[in-house]
Amino acid sequence: MSGRKCDEALTNLYQYLDREIDTASSERIRAHLDDCSGCLDIFEFEVRLKVVVRERLSEEVPPEFIDRLRAALDRESVADR
Amino acid sequence: MADQADFERDALQYTRQLFSAAMRMTRNPSDAEDLVQETFLKAYRAYHTYEEGTNLKAWLYRILTNTYINNYRKESRRPSEVDLGAVEDLYLYRRIGSEESAEAARTTEDRVLDGLVESDIKQAVEDLPENFRIPVLLADLEGFSYKEIAEILDIPIGTVMSRLHRGRKALQRRLWEFAENRGLLPEDAEKP
Repeated sequence: MSGRKCDEALTNLYQYLDREIDTASSERIRAHLDDCSGCLDIFEFEVRLKVVVRERLSEEVPPEFIDRLRAALDRESVADR
Repeated sequence: MADQADFERDALQYTRQLFSAAMRMTRNPSDAEDLVQETFLKAYRAYHTYEEGTNLKAWLYRILTNTYINNYRKESRRPSEVDLGAVEDLYLYRRIGSEESAEAARTTEDRVLDGLVESDIKQAVEDLPENFRIPVLLADLEGFSYKEIAEILDIPIGTVMSRLHRGRKALQRRLWEFAENRGLLPEDAEKP
């Protein structure tokens, strides 16, 4: 794994995964990943990591907080009238 | 112009997401609840200025972020360039990949990704300096685009990209430390 195509893929890895890359570059990278198992391995790892991070950062909202929030908004809207 | 009567219906669907972000910003549940409540009250009062059809979620995050920065931030703005230090690209992958065979590396990848528990990931994000933590949360927890993050934080897109890049690398370095402490790595794995 080396060379210009690998460099292009790895330099743009995050922009590719974040879908922040133009179509032509994206297609070039996708084609390269079909040919290069080394880069594909890296991209797959970064995708898995991204999913793990997102899933494990999510919080449950305490139900009593939802009640408190609605009550606060209701007070606010009553005050408006 | 949006109708305040619609506010609860339109905005409260984002409570869980805003609360998740607020937890990582304030680092404690009671402040996170206060921050989210204050965000919704501010948004409610300003809802008549919100232009219907524009990005409501991004608008709420902008209020959340500004409220956090103005009222809840405990750390002073420090030059975070120094804080992060230099971290090489693909930090986690490269360290795991130093295994002898591809198969061994794959096993370690699985063990690390499965074995890092919620508290590790949360702590690793909280340990990032704020300048990096907020862009990483907006991108990786919320999936905002670079342009949306730039608008939420009032910084140029180039700054968003560089903070995201460095923030993610620093996050990987911290995750590696957690993986090591949990014994998820083989004995002979390269020490950072």
